[in-house]
Amino acid sequence: MNFARHSININLLLLLIVSVILAASDVYAIPAFTRANNVECSTCHTIFPELNEYGEAFLKNGYVYFGKGKKKSAEKAKPVPATVEAKSAALPVDSNIVKGDGNADLLSKLKAGMMVSADAPALTAATTVPVADAESSHVAVVGEAKSEGIALSGVPDQLPISFTANLHGTYNKDAINEFDFSTRSLKLNAGGNFKEKAGFFGTYLVYTENVAATNNTSQTPTNLTVKNDIGELFLIWRHLFESPINIKVGRLQPKLGLWKSNNKLSTTNSYATYSYTVGESLFKLEQPQDAVEANMIIANRLFLAGGVVNRKNQNTKEWYTHASVKFGGADYLVNEPEIDLNKEESVFDYLTLTVGGYGYVGTNGDPNTVAGVTPRQNDFYRTGVDIDLLYKLFRLKLSGVIGNDDNPALSYSLPPVKTYVAAVEGEYTILQNLIGSLRFEYQDDGSNIVRRFIPTLAYAPIENVKVAAEYKHEYGTSYKTTGATEIANQIGTLGVTFSF
Amino acid sequence: MKRYVTLAVLLTIFVYSIAEARIKVAGRGAKMNFSSEGIPEMYKPSFNLMLVKCVKCHTMERTVIAIQTGRAPITGQPFNKQAVKAYGIKMLRKPNSDMNKKEIRDVVVLLNYFLDENAK
Repeated sequence: MNFARHSININLLLLLIVSVILAASDVYAIPAFTRANNVECSTCHTIFPELNEYGEAFLKNGYVYFGKGKKKSAEKAKPVPATVEAKSAALPVDSNIVKGDGNADLLSKLKAGMMVSADAPALTAATTVPVADAESSHVAVVGEAKSEGIALSGVPDQLPISFTANLHGTYNKDAINEFDFSTRSLKLNAGGNFKEKAGFFGTYLVYTENVAATNNTSQTPTNLTVKNDIGELFLIWRHLFESPINIKVGRLQPKLGLWKSNNKLSTTNSYATYSYTVGESLFKLEQPQDAVEANMIIANRLFLAGGVVNRKNQNTKEWYTHASVKFGGADYLVNEPEIDLNKEESVFDYLTLTVGGYGYVGTNGDPNTVAGVTPRQNDFYRTGVDIDLLYKLFRLKLSGVIGNDDNPALSYSLPPVKTYVAAVEGEYTILQNLIGSLRFEYQDDGSNIVRRFIPTLAYAPIENVKVAAEYKHEYGTSYKTTGATEIANQIGTLGVTFSF
Repeated sequence: MKRYVTLAVLLTIFVYSIAEARIKVAGRGAKMNFSSEGIPEMYKPSFNLMLVKCVKCHTMERTVIAIQTGRAPITGQPFNKQAVKAYGIKMLRKPNSDMNKKEIRDVVVLLNYFLDENAK
């Protein structure tokens, strides 16, 4: 009898332990940046992966969280422990001689330097923490000193890897297979920084059901161009030689438009301005390129970027530039705007306007590095303007681009092609985790004129889980083909995306 | 005897942990909150407002820790009156925070009061 009761108690105990473990594991089901910075997804996203202004700032700051390290700088300001002071006091003040037993004072300072933020500003009188507060060490505060080994090596505390999974079902009444539930994909993401001196980011498409088609605006995921390939992989050298300039090297989406390819509510429909292609040319604005980019923030509200792209097997380089300026809202360094809380409400209290412009000049086509072969080449350019306007719960995105390709068919028998593409999207935050949007696109890519209406409803029951219902109504004409073929597509998509 | 000693130690730890907090706090962990006792009547409406609005997105523990330590617990940034105003403006502009300018102002004034009380 006693044995039976004892056994029940053990079972109850095991059940309790399992419950606690399961509950705890739910808490940690979050991606790399969240884990590294101990912040919720909604700090940087509206509904992921769409960024809010703080996420944009985090991106521009090379994946270093603003304000991090100030706590550590307070620690840095503390006097060196008495034992160290006593030892160093015995050394000659002007001694520069390297001695075999080292310099404990110097080592201590070096280590302290390793464990504080590279961006940590010097403490001012206004930011000095009362001694009593600084001593309240019982509170778990982000930014506590790392272990010495990790701090000295620059390796992130936690493995900076996360995954994003997409499960989609599509309905297209004109397709042979009307219902398609096989659009699965799994993407690996990695990102973070090394001692805040360098940032890094990478994506790798681990698996997808889709065979990527580069001219398809509905592929999943949309920011990757080739199946099972690296999407992006780059390193950022932050604040080059203490200057405001950051250098980005690797495969990256050149900074052109205001929004990165996945920075939108829709999961499956890229902005036409970023994703359209012309003729045989595979170039599109959101395409990751092998590039070197320099960028910088000036006067907190102006962002400049420029870079050079090296296309594989092409000797000719491609160039691009971007400038954007922000009015209202938090600036690019996440300083809140000055608003007088004692005054009556004004439209300008809530208004944020960001305007960006860009240009890209390039050459693609056959490789021009093969001796004795005259390559068929296409010289092209794109130039565009984006506007992002936010007012309370309403957000408006405007995007327009014009382009020219002198030989997009790579045949020399066809004339150059001018392209005009525009998109306008209105977005409304119904609830904090429920956002709806309606987009209209106009695309004249030189062979077709297509218009699209794309309503999207996204819901995030948990911050790292997104359910999106999308519909694309696309119609137009292929006016450059014989007989002006009509284009008509209606595609509905219901999908769930989750990151962990 | 052993039981009394244990009890005395636990009591001492408990009393110490309460005495250390300069601003009165109730509850622990995620349920930690400012104690409504001792809050002047003029701040009570703001306190009640804060209890309803702020907890929509974060626990009050975060605010209590920020007041107690003078540091925002997530970023480690200073949490002084200047920062309180900046957080107020951030919340004012946050879509769906559902707070107007007057409500934000009232909560900012209340948090400034808490900061002053904690500094005493």
